[in-house]
Amino acid sequence: MTENTPLTQDNTEDMEIRTLELGGLAGTFGTADHKNLGRLYILFGLSGGFLSLILHLLVRLERINIGETSILDFGSSNQYFQTWSLSRTSLLFFCVVPLILGLATYLMPLQIGAPSIAFPRAAAAAFWAWLVGILIHVVTVFSDGGLGVPEPLTQFAQGMDPEATELSILSIAMVAIAVLLASITLIATVVTQRPEGMTLFELPLFSWSVLVATGVWVLAMPVWLGNLMISWVDFRGADALRYGNVANIWGQLSWLWSQPMIFAFAIPVLGIAGEIIPVAASKAQRQYTIQQIGIGALGVLSFGAFAQPFFNADVSDQAVFVGMGLLVILPVLVFLGGLADTLVKGKPKFSAHLVLALISMVALLVGTTLSAIHVSGPAIGAIREIDSDWLSGLINWLTDLQGTVIATAVMEHALISSLIASIAGLYYWSPKIFGKRMNNGIGVLAGLSLLGGLLLSAGSNLINGFLDEGDAVYLATSNSGVWNQDAVEFLNVIGFIGSILLIGGVSLVLLDLMISIFLGKGSNEDVDNPWDGHTLEWATASPPPTGNFDEPPVVNSERPLLEVGGGSE
Amino acid sequence: MNLRTTDLPVAPAVRGRTPLVATGFAVAAMIMYFAGVFGVYLKERAQVRSEGLPWIPNKATIELTQPGMVIWTLLISIVVMQWAVYSIKRDDRQHALLGIGTTLVMGAMVVVQTAWHLSQTNLIADEGPTTAATLIFTIVGSYLVAVIIGMIILLLTGFRTMAGQYGSKQTDGVVAASLYWYSLVFIYFIIWIAVYIAK
Repeated sequence: MTENTPLTQDNTEDMEIRTLELGGLAGTFGTADHKNLGRLYILFGLSGGFLSLILHLLVRLERINIGETSILDFGSSNQYFQTWSLSRTSLLFFCVVPLILGLATYLMPLQIGAPSIAFPRAAAAAFWAWLVGILIHVVTVFSDGGLGVPEPLTQFAQGMDPEATELSILSIAMVAIAVLLASITLIATVVTQRPEGMTLFELPLFSWSVLVATGVWVLAMPVWLGNLMISWVDFRGADALRYGNVANIWGQLSWLWSQPMIFAFAIPVLGIAGEIIPVAASKAQRQYTIQQIGIGALGVLSFGAFAQPFFNADVSDQAVFVGMGLLVILPVLVFLGGLADTLVKGKPKFSAHLVLALISMVALLVGTTLSAIHVSGPAIGAIREIDSDWLSGLINWLTDLQGTVIATAVMEHALISSLIASIAGLYYWSPKIFGKRMNNGIGVLAGLSLLGGLLLSAGSNLINGFLDEGDAVYLATSNSGVWNQDAVEFLNVIGFIGSILLIGGVSLVLLDLMISIFLGKGSNEDVDNPWDGHTLEWATASPPPTGNFDEPPVVNSERPLLEVGGGSE
Repeated sequence: MNLRTTDLPVAPAVRGRTPLVATGFAVAAMIMYFAGVFGVYLKERAQVRSEGLPWIPNKATIELTQPGMVIWTLLISIVVMQWAVYSIKRDDRQHALLGIGTTLVMGAMVVVQTAWHLSQTNLIADEGPTTAATLIFTIVGSYLVAVIIGMIILLLTGFRTMAGQYGSKQTDGVVAASLYWYSLVFIYFIIWIAVYIAK
């Protein structure tokens, strides 16, 4: 890592002299400017979102059967499993994580009044390592690699390539290391680059949420990386015993997509909504510290490195896991309550980013509610003596939900709420990021499409979970315990429509980016501070110049622009 | 209303200690990595033993001579690295460089001894792969990677010290390198106890 030289009045001039502006490919590949890196993350993240939702749709198609035949036949259970697992890895690592990192890399230095991100070259290295890693991963999965196979007997029997599998493991490890490196640069930025007067309690909510989220990632993802390395070492051995046995690889890694860990990737939803809603309502957020505590509590409750069913099969019955699953709803409720108070007392102005922010909050609230339902069986069993048949039946029924597609519904809510929040952030900060506004109407339409898609997709998984459809949908046995097969088939059709709507929503955003930003049709009127924002990123030009600020600001509250009359209340 | 930063009052310089904070979080990540792998190791070892089976294959031999040498090398390297920190705080770059260079050599000794030791354990040669072999190779192999990263950091810190970047007014880089090195010693201590001594 290299050191970041603080920008002071004395060296501002030097910095301008040292800066070599490069355009074109040289500028793109050689950039260490956090703004360029942020834009690159966002563009690739949206494209990755499109790919992952296409895979999501293919999996949905496979789940629809007409008679005994599936509409889409992958040819082998291996290929179905690869598509299914890639839809998850890409939704997380090729869409949600880069979108969060992109917004954070672009905005966090601006929000805290810093001239740059800490360790800009490390941040650039993290971006390129992430991009190369995720692209290699996608290519290797399509080349008969992937993170394992569904059943032991299918190992390499149906066209699975051991070398491609090895490369899949190593490439996703490279992605994890890149995400860790990017997270550390963001944490170092917010901890050490804040201006005088800005304590952690005065951090803008988005920056605070990214600090909490990346803090959880830095503590939990190395454990996941350890799982990967154990699998790889065993896989490389002459005769993979357990961890490297391809039937076991995904089982060791799946906890990253399960509760409570999956909510660590939804923490920035609170931060983005917490930035947008008070500004849209032209009202300063009250109880700011409680909002920060809410975000911190969600971080604590989403630390899931201990919840690895592969090594601890009983974890879903254990008090800590159940308690975290039940409590995770509370910080979201508290935070939403604070935002509702601001909305009610303010004068909300209708905008795409407001609609999208509200949708993302509601989606996250539903996701945490489903999490509570998911773990409630053992909880009720633990706190009440079972003295009646109906209660015993209810507990058994709720406990049985744990192996069903409700887990997928929880994951969809957590990750897609994060995707929607990132899109909300994109609409809100597009004047700052691109120097042009995105189209309000298209944004609202995209938000409604994403909401509809999530409701249908996750909703159908929820009901299918109650009907006992197994979460491992790639196994032939996933339907063996289903109560009503026709209902499951019908709901899978509904889920398929939901997948189309999700793709439609992301496509609209990409289309809007193309029209408003790249074709230059978006308005560039009043882009410096179009929404009367409260935080420091709005106190500089759009897009900001090299060094971000003419002079480092002094901050004495979490809403510095309101203090000096820059925002509106 | 639009607002430029020129409307805001001027601030003093931003806070420092960036390398130290980043290294602190990197060390936290590394400790979590090894904690996760050790968690698997201890759980699997307990499971195998509960079935009455030997954890380390019968024909494998884990001598304690080399790990003992490594732990002493690392313990001495703490003193030497701290000497480098002490020196840089007093603008004594010559001794700081000596300390960093000596620690670097000790790191190379750790790599050589550990790699040679692994090659002598006979963990997989006779009985084929075992769970224990997989986990020991993962833990020790990861540790070697961490030591090599530490040596690269030391090398860069040494070059920067030589170039005059670090001195009594800016010790962060050397202190950060020492923090990383001390964490390596701590992790090896756990490996020494859990893998080599307790077997």
